[in-house]
Order: sequence, then C-alpha cells, then structure tokens
Amino acid sequence: MTITEALQIAQTAPAAAPKFDVKLACGFTPLHLQTLLTAEVQQRVRGRKVAISSGLYGDLAGTLESVARGDGEQPDCLAVVIEWPDLDPRLGFRSAGSWGSGAVSDIASSARAMQARIVEALSRAPAGIRIAVTLPSLPLPPLFHSCGWQASEAQLLLERDILGMAAELAQGMRAMVVNGQALSESSAAGQRFDLKSDLLTGLPYTVQHAGAVAAALATALVPPAPKKGIISDLDDTLWSGIVGETGPEGVSWDLASHHQLHGLYQKMLASLCENGVLVGVASKNDPAVVKKTFERADLLIRSEQVFPFEVHWDAKSGSIARILNVWNIGADAVIFVDDSPMELAEVAAAHPGIECICFPKSDYAAGLAMLRRLRDLCGKERISQEDTIRLESIRRGAEFQEQAAGGAAPEQFLQQLNATISIDFDCGSEARTLELINKTNQFNLNGIRLTEADWQKRLSQPGAFVAGISYEDKFGMLGTIAVIQGLEREGVLHVPTWVMSCRAFARRIEHGCLAALFDRFQASRVELDYTATSKNGPVKDFLLAMLGEEPTGPVRIMRRQFEAQCPPLYHTVREVRRTYASG
Amino acid sequence: MDDVKKRLTGCFQIVFPDIPEAQIPLLSQANTSAWDSVAAITLLNVLEEEFAVEMDLDQVADLNSFERVYAHLQERLQAV
Repeated sequence: MTITEALQIAQTAPAAAPKFDVKLACGFTPLHLQTLLTAEVQQRVRGRKVAISSGLYGDLAGTLESVARGDGEQPDCLAVVIEWPDLDPRLGFRSAGSWGSGAVSDIASSARAMQARIVEALSRAPAGIRIAVTLPSLPLPPLFHSCGWQASEAQLLLERDILGMAAELAQGMRAMVVNGQALSESSAAGQRFDLKSDLLTGLPYTVQHAGAVAAALATALVPPAPKKGIISDLDDTLWSGIVGETGPEGVSWDLASHHQLHGLYQKMLASLCENGVLVGVASKNDPAVVKKTFERADLLIRSEQVFPFEVHWDAKSGSIARILNVWNIGADAVIFVDDSPMELAEVAAAHPGIECICFPKSDYAAGLAMLRRLRDLCGKERISQEDTIRLESIRRGAEFQEQAAGGAAPEQFLQQLNATISIDFDCGSEARTLELINKTNQFNLNGIRLTEADWQKRLSQPGAFVAGISYEDKFGMLGTIAVIQGLEREGVLHVPTWVMSCRAFARRIEHGCLAALFDRFQASRVELDYTATSKNGPVKDFLLAMLGEEPTGPVRIMRRQFEAQCPPLYHTVREVRRTYASG
Repeated sequence: MDDVKKRLTGCFQIVFPDIPEAQIPLLSQANTSAWDSVAAITLLNVLEEEFAVEMDLDQVADLNSFERVYAHLQERLQAV
C-alpha cells in the first residue's frame, strides 16, 4: 500500500460513522506508520471511522501506563510497537549515550527494567482493549565488541530477554504478539531501517517496512474470521493416485513413494480437526473402496475425524451443498481443496464465497504455500471447549435431525430428549461469549457486532446482565450455544443482543431461554432490539410465532403473551457457573 | 492548468482533504495550520509516488509553499 492509497482509504470512511479508536504506542515519530495503520485498520472495520492517536515521543512505557490508568477515552485497540531504543535510548542512533564496553551491562539491566514496566502496564490495561505487539524489528546498532557477523553474548541476552517478555505477554492471551518470522517474509531485514529518516524525522522505518508492520498490526488487532471447515477431494489430493484404479493399497502419501506432500496435507487436516475445524470429503469414487482405504493404519487422518463423507459419482457442487447443510454453515466459512481445476470451478460457480484451493501435486513450493494458507485461514487464537466437541456435536446433530425428521420436532421426540439447559449469568468475561455474538448470523437479533471495548461498556451499565446458555441432551453436549445480553430495570428486560448457534435449532431452546429469563428476573415484559438482516430469518420466524405478526423493528413480548404462545417445554433448566477451557 | 500543476494539486488534495481545490495554489506553510512537519513529510512521500522522483528530506524546510513545490518539480522533471 502506498502513502497515497492509505490517505485515500482513510478519507473514504464517512465522518459520521461510529469511531473505532486505536492507540498507537511507540517511542518514535509514527508518521507513515500511523497513516498506513489507519488505512489497514479502516479496511478491516468497514462502517466505522478509524481514529488513531499516538503517545509521547520517546516514552513508550509512559504511553502504556497512561492507557492502563484509563487516562482519556478508552480505545478499542492498542497497537504497541517496541523498538530497541524504547528499552534503552543507547540502543538507538539518536542518543548521545556511550556505546563503550562499560555501557553494555548497564544497557542490559536498564532494558530489563523497561521490559518489566511494559509488561506491568499491559497487564493492567482495561479488559476491553484488544492489544497487539510488535517486537524490535530493526537491527541493533554496532555497539558490541564483536564483529557484525558474530552474535555477541550481550546481544543474544538482549534478544533472549525480549523473547521472554513476548512469551509473558502472549501467556493468557493478554496481547497478540506479531510473528516476527511472518514479518520477515513481508519485509526483508536489510530494507527496514532508514537512518536518514530516523535522524531527520524520528521515524526509523522505511515506507515499505512501515507498511509491513502496519498490515501485521491491523491483522492482529482485527483478525479475519477463521474458516470453519475444509472439504477435501481424495484422489491426487488426500493421497496420490486413483484409488478406484489401483485399489486401497495402491495409493500413497509417504516419503518413500515421493508423495509426502499428501501425507503433510493429511497431517494438517488432522491437526486442524483437533482444533475444532470440520473436515469433510467430497469425492467421485466407489464408497466401498474409499471405506477400505480409510481402514489403512498408516493414514495420518483417522476416518472418525472426517464427517460427512460424500462419496459417489454425482456432481461435487451437490456434495458440497449437502455437507454445508449437515454442518449448518455458509459457503463463505468453508475451504474446498481439489486437484482438478474443473471441479473447483464447478463448485465455485455453485457456491459463491467458498474458498477454492487447487492441490499442487508436484509443485513443492506451492505445496508449502498451501499448507501455510490452510493454517492461516483456519488458525485460532485459542481453542475453546466448544472446539473440542464441535465434530461430535455435529454428528449427534445429524442424528437428531434424522430422528426428528427435519423441521418441527414431534412432541414425543422432544419429550424423550432428556434435555438440560444450563444458564451461566457470570460468563461476561469469557472469550466464547463475545466470540459467539460476533460469529452468529442466523439466530441473531440484529446482526450487530461488538468490539471488546463495546462489550465491556455494555456490561458496566447498571442493571446489565449476560446469560451464557449451554445445552445437552441424549445425543450429546452442544456446549455454549446461546448468549443473551441485556438490562433489567423494574421488571422490564431490555435485550439488545441475543444470539443462538444454528446447531441448537429445532429444540425449543429459544423458548426455554426466554422462559428462564422471565422467571429469574420476575419480569413482566421483554423488549428485544430486533432488526431484520439478510440472514436472521430464524429470529423473525420465532417472533412471528410469538407476536402473531411479522416484526418490523424492536418488539415487546409481555409475559402473559409469551406464556400463551409458548409451546410445551421439556428441558430441565439450571443455573450454573461453568469452568472454561482455553489454550 | 498544465499537467504537473494538475497532478500537484491532486497531491495536495490528498494530504489536505479539507482545503477547497481553488485555494490549493495559494497554500503555504505560513497560511495553512494543517501543514505541519508531519504533513510536510507526508506530502514529500505522496509527491514521490505521484511523480516517481526521489524527494530529499533535507528539502522539507525549503518546499514550504505550493509555488515552491511546483517550481522544484518542474526543475526536477525537466532534468530527467
């Protein structure tokens, strides 16, 4: 991105749009870094107007301490750019401080003290602020006794300390630390530092390095939603060879057969599956032969990690449609991998938004790029309890749908579910709560997405409540599947946010949730901030059934009205305080 | 308006979006509060990108009005 493009992007945001405040904490003059960061963030938060403010020159720790104290308006995000002179000015080129041998040990100890200040300030930053950090990306000045080609002990100790600090920041997910290796690929080490700019303007970065740092920070501050599933072809994709021709023992994926790229792909799918990414198969093949192949003990992904299998001779676009239906997610949340450009084109035409990747059979560089792309598209900041049970939950959901014969579940079937709704009124600080709000489309009251700062503001209002709802029945656990956030005032519940995962449809959980809220707060009515979106038809249908007319905006449901319209409920409802898994 | 002047006006509009186009040829650092040191360096970068010439940071202080920037660019572009 050029400076001109960045300025133009920043100017395209409507001035009246809600602000998206970013604090840029760095010890140097931010200049182009600020311009480029504004544009990079602006591209990721359409509908908001990005405003970036920076701290005092030469006082990175002071800027962070000011944010931690809550001075001024709380930003949505905090971008922290650490360079060596922030740890000790003598590690830069603008200081007159000595580079003599005697200074080195003093520099190391003052750098450690400064790192401690930075960690302390960041640990005290208000909970609603998302933080991204870049570590020193510029070369250290030539102040050590050794030649440039030799890493001196002092230099290595400084680098060790900064990595230790980064690990401490990353621990507990308090800050997203930008991957230095990835940054190296977009910004070559030798082309980062501009001494003239550093000395004349206070910005040590070349424009291209400022661009790379800005892009990395923006991605860490406003990451793209991870893909939820991968649908893979089999022949010449999951394995090398045509299994229908060679038989199960004739296909390969190992080093000895020179087909390790397929083995690596299998390992990647298995690893992503363990992290909650769904893996399905769409293959034109004989199902019996495929079943036999999946029995091979040396396959690096287990057959139970794949669901569903669409193996037949019909069009792949149909297979994809059925898999999306079972997973209950949109095409834009899925990746399709196949070695055939024709199959990819057929699927892409039928499912706009699906990410199609051509498996590069013998192009090793492209193979590595594909593996990394899969990781980037599906990577998660943390693994939640829901991630670990998602596949099983979907399998059970498919069984549920089969037995419920689709649509409205017969009373007898619902009665026999042994369903339990667990409600946690203390889940506001759990990552899964906000995550669910920001990724749910279908049963979503109004589609409004919230930043961590918006969320904290909501929860700090007098009378605010948040309910995290999890569900379990004889088909298994669905985990946390709904969130209701609102305000209780004098027996009236005002609900601006209500989302429920599509995995939980057709079980009357939405009715159970509302009934539980009426009971817990002894409320006389509920006011729901409903707005129609292109995707929230299930909410409209629910409200239509409750109100007897199609909702056109915010609605009120009186308790008596709800009780009159509510179908029989068979859930056991209990209030809990759950423990959350993270990692 | 010649091509260089037109493109230069476009550069100024990008850096100073709140200033009407008609006033741009009259701009100088002395009469434009938005033309601070940050804007001056940003302007140099935008000029580099638009005219594909390398602008020297040492010249920031001298290039303090639209007229001066225009004259400097004409000189540079004729020399190419």
